Amino acid sequence: MLPLSLLHTAAGHPMLVELKNGETFNGHLVNCDNWMNLTLREVIQTSPDGDRFWRLPECYIRGNTIKYLNVPEEIVDMVKEDENRQRQGNGRGRGRGRENGRSRGSSQQRGGSNRGGRGTSR
Amino acid sequence: MDSGPYFTTSSGLIDSIDKKLLIVLRDGRKLIGTLRSFDQFANLVLQDTIERIYVGNCYGDIPRGIFLIRGENVVLLGEVDEMKEERIGLRQLPVEDILIAQREEIELKQKLEKVRSKALHERGFCIDNSANDLY
Repeated sequence: MLPLSLLHTAAGHPMLVELKNGETFNGHLVNCDNWMNLTLREVIQTSPDGDRFWRLPECYIRGNTIKYLNVPEEIVDMVKEDENRQRQGNGRGRGRGRENGRSRGSSQQRGGSNRGGRGTSR
Repeated sequence: MDSGPYFTTSSGLIDSIDKKLLIVLRDGRKLIGTLRSFDQFANLVLQDTIERIYVGNCYGDIPRGIFLIRGENVVLLGEVDEMKEERIGLRQLPVEDILIAQREEIELKQKLEKVRSKALHERGFCIDNSANDLY
């Protein structure tokens, strides 16, 4: 699974984010996007030297400031479940499309009767 | 594209998947872990990662779990040769000891850096911090 999709799967879980300047943010991931921008809640921020701490109820981290993320081991098991669920969802969705297309195309004869709907066009 | 024993392929990281790799980051950290996935930016997902700290002839390992590394922070990476790993000539120390040794080494470096910066500054040179970035 791609790194950013692993991150999406980890939403709601605690993690550690280290920034390029050495600051660390320990908190629960709320959301993330394609640029690795994150929102965390219940965050403990630590200075690069490890001598100062702040507690933030929530924070936003711009993706390009991140050095790395440390996520808990259980994410790996969730990832496998997620991948299986996605694979099943794709198969079922395509089947549904094909059935609807055939009935729609044949009953209404709209724009090319040989096409037979979304599912079978490929 | 030759896939020989020493990986001269140019097909990206796909050949390194599920292999034990050593990653060197720009801040000098060395991480050893199994590569599970990557993307077009060379963001990496490592499993069973350990951070290995080298000081002099010794090293120490800190288990870290799962890492998602942002690609731009990686200097280089390479596959770990298990055979050569066994013949490593370095002594392994427990984590606390290696951290103490590392702190001493860093303090010594900082002292020297201070003297160097002062000398350069006196001669009209600019002090530049890019020496800490291995990139």
